[in-house]
Amino acid sequence: MRLASRLNTIKARVIAALGVMIAGIVAIALIGVTALRTLDQTVSRELEGLTQAAEITNGLVVTLFDELRTGEQYLTDRTATVRQAFRDAGERAYGYQSRLHTLPDLREADRLMIARIAELQAEVEVWYSLAHAQVDLGRRAAAEGTARQARVPTYELLRLVQDFSALQRNRAGIVTQSLRQSSSDGRMMVWTVLAASVLLGVVVGIATVRAVERPLSRLEAVAKRFADGDLRPVTLGDMPEELASLGEAMTRISTKLRTLVASLVGESERIAASANDFSAISEQLAASAGEISTAMIDISGGAGLQVSSLQESSSATEQLRAATERNGKMAERLAELAEGIHRLAAKYQQDVSVSATTLLELGDVVQTSANQVEELDRLSEAVYDFVELIKTISTQTNLLALNAAIEAARAGERGIGFAVVADEVRQLADSSGAAAEDVTQTLSAVRTQVGQVSATMAAGRAKVRGVETIAQGAAEALDEIRRAIEEVEEGAKRVQNDAAGNLGAAQRILEELHKASEAANSHASASEEVAAAAEQQGASTQEMAAQATQLNEAAGRPRTLVKGFRV
Amino acid sequence: MRNPRTILSLLFAAAVSGCGSSDGPILIGLAGPFSEQRGISMQLGAELAVAEINDMGGIRGRPLELVIEDDSASTEVAVRVARELYGTPGLVAVVGHLNSGATIAAAPIYNGGSRPVVQISPSASSPQVTEVGPYTFRVCPSDLVHGARLAEWAWEEVGARTAAVLYQNDAYGRGVRTTFQQSFEALGGAVVSEDPFVAPLPTFEPYLLRLSRRGGADAVMIAGTRAGAERIIATLDSLGVSYPVLGGDGLSGIESSDVDATGVLISSAYLPDRISPRNEAFVAAYQAAFGDVRPDHRGAGAYDAVHLLARVIDEVGPDRRRIQRYLATVGTESAPFQGVTGVIAFDENGDVPEKEVVIGVVQGGRIVTAVRQ
Repeated sequence: MRLASRLNTIKARVIAALGVMIAGIVAIALIGVTALRTLDQTVSRELEGLTQAAEITNGLVVTLFDELRTGEQYLTDRTATVRQAFRDAGERAYGYQSRLHTLPDLREADRLMIARIAELQAEVEVWYSLAHAQVDLGRRAAAEGTARQARVPTYELLRLVQDFSALQRNRAGIVTQSLRQSSSDGRMMVWTVLAASVLLGVVVGIATVRAVERPLSRLEAVAKRFADGDLRPVTLGDMPEELASLGEAMTRISTKLRTLVASLVGESERIAASANDFSAISEQLAASAGEISTAMIDISGGAGLQVSSLQESSSATEQLRAATERNGKMAERLAELAEGIHRLAAKYQQDVSVSATTLLELGDVVQTSANQVEELDRLSEAVYDFVELIKTISTQTNLLALNAAIEAARAGERGIGFAVVADEVRQLADSSGAAAEDVTQTLSAVRTQVGQVSATMAAGRAKVRGVETIAQGAAEALDEIRRAIEEVEEGAKRVQNDAAGNLGAAQRILEELHKASEAANSHASASEEVAAAAEQQGASTQEMAAQATQLNEAAGRPRTLVKGFRV
Repeated sequence: MRNPRTILSLLFAAAVSGCGSSDGPILIGLAGPFSEQRGISMQLGAELAVAEINDMGGIRGRPLELVIEDDSASTEVAVRVARELYGTPGLVAVVGHLNSGATIAAAPIYNGGSRPVVQISPSASSPQVTEVGPYTFRVCPSDLVHGARLAEWAWEEVGARTAAVLYQNDAYGRGVRTTFQQSFEALGGAVVSEDPFVAPLPTFEPYLLRLSRRGGADAVMIAGTRAGAERIIATLDSLGVSYPVLGGDGLSGIESSDVDATGVLISSAYLPDRISPRNEAFVAAYQAAFGDVRPDHRGAGAYDAVHLLARVIDEVGPDRRRIQRYLATVGTESAPFQGVTGVIAFDENGDVPEKEVVIGVVQGGRIVTAVRQ
């Protein structure tokens, strides 16, 4: 398992392919050297054996002839010299004969032959010695008879020695045959190892080229997709370690971008929804303010009528009472309305504050995303380093292949196959380098894109800050509204109290007509105050509505920005 | 190298015991010329030893059995016989051969191949036996010792200043002849004639007549075997001449032959009148078993060889290689063997250089230790 993962790198594959071929060459060299050495040893041993055998058999034949010659010679020439020559020849023949045992690699047939040679040689010597004794005693005829007897074993002996010599020669032929066979076996072995190593080298080479080419094209396609803004997850599949790291870096880039874009889209949706709500509230507020204004006009009208009635006659007391009652009811309604507005304003102020918080969070998200983009940029640099490594490897491989080609050229005929393989390896290194260059370019595109994303993120962050300001303005406006409504409420309560006072004083109208006139006057001024406050509120509400519209627009902008990405 | 062979031998031992032959006999080869008197002597000695061992319960509870092969003292037959013994399953050692020629011819067989086997010769005394291989041992001294001892005796005790040598034209005869001649000449003596003979020689008369006509010699040295010696003594008698006759241990047995060999001096690694309790017991047992015959050096040598092998097999088991390894240490790393022929302690060549040679003289049909004058 670990070995498999170690092998799954371009470097390891290239080294493995070259290693296989070098190992093959070393094996061939070893086989050759061993075969030569074995051949050499066998040849020298056999030659030594043959030399010995030849020396001994030749010596034996020569001394046997000497022995025979001097043995015969003594029969007619009885001198001490001849006798001594005969004895010396016998000793020498015995010496050679006893050395036959020491020959290497004797077989049983050889040993039997040697034993017979020894016996015959002893016999021949004895016959001649006996004949010599007979000659010495003057028995010439008997001596000749004994010598004749010696001739039979002599001929057999010479024939045996020659046969033995021939046997040794035959053995040399057999050895030559076996040497030829073993050398042919060695040659066969060398060719087999050569073919196997070349085949294995080519297979590993092709496998490496494929293992690099396919993942590279896959990575290229993925990079193009990212450049087009398609950030959906990708499956890269099995590939060499260096390319797998590159692929992993790209996958991480896409994952980060995808997360960033998704959170941007979600946040912008939420801002848009908040802005819509805000807009609706503003419209409701505007409507309520309108109603307040109408009510205040009515109140003002009632007050004016009251003043004129007071000035008209004192008999219209009843009319005045009714008017006061109507006035009171109107004020009561106004108070209710004001309270409703107050509640609504308080509620929306809370909403606006939630929106503002959300916007602040969005600001944080954008900040985080910006940081992630920067990290992505750093990761890309790491990828650059990987690609540089691949380039270095391909350059070294190229050099190795060139060396191999030179070595192959030196090897001559035998190196042709290896030269082809070396050329293949060189081409593989070139294509690895080109692929690495492609990766560099793709990566540059990715980085440019990343830079753009980074810039966009900064812009988005600025926009979010603007939206924040707007939301603050809206919150302030709402506060103002709330204060204005409080004032309205206060005024309405005062009107209500006044109206109640009017009703109680109806009985004392006549007497109090003058006082009533004064009270009516103050009533009218209070109504005017309320109207003014209501008007102020209307203006604030309009301002707020305008800001809500702006907010809505601002919330729409990030959505437009991230619309280009597919996640 | 060691492991595969050890394993093989273990497997072989396991196979042997697995086949149920652990209760079967342990086989030892016996090779010599058993149709001749000297061979019979050797065979009797070996058989006596085997009987004694088996009476004591065998080796490791297994009986000892001899595989007897007749080599006719011929180098040619010896080679064939050695092949047969070598290939006999369960055979762990060989006692033989008797004479030097056969021993030397057979040695390459026993020392060669993948399962070499030990051979212990009781009486092969040729100097060449020293060199034939690590699996070849002998319990007798070499001819170099015999020849030198005989020359010394002839010079000092016989008072001979000239000697005529008749030698058997083989490794043994030549070996004794050469060492006798060298020692005798070194002492100041002269060898006046050297005449070879072989078994089929029709007559010795020309050699001996020529010797007497040329003035004879102070001693006749016979470097050969009993058969030749008998004919030489008979021829001397027929010629009416008489010289002191000396000979190597090849002559032993001549004391009980038809010719009158009284006075013949014989060098021997062993004489039955050797004074030692162990030898006396051996001679008694020998005579009890085979009648009123006395053992010679061949029978005693074979007897010692069988007993020595029994001790070694008892020590290391019936394994050819281990027997050789142990034998090589007898007298050095392990204790020397106290045999009836004397103390057996091997040197690195499987020789017994410490063993002494005694001179015996034929008297009344027996060889008795000769006494210095």
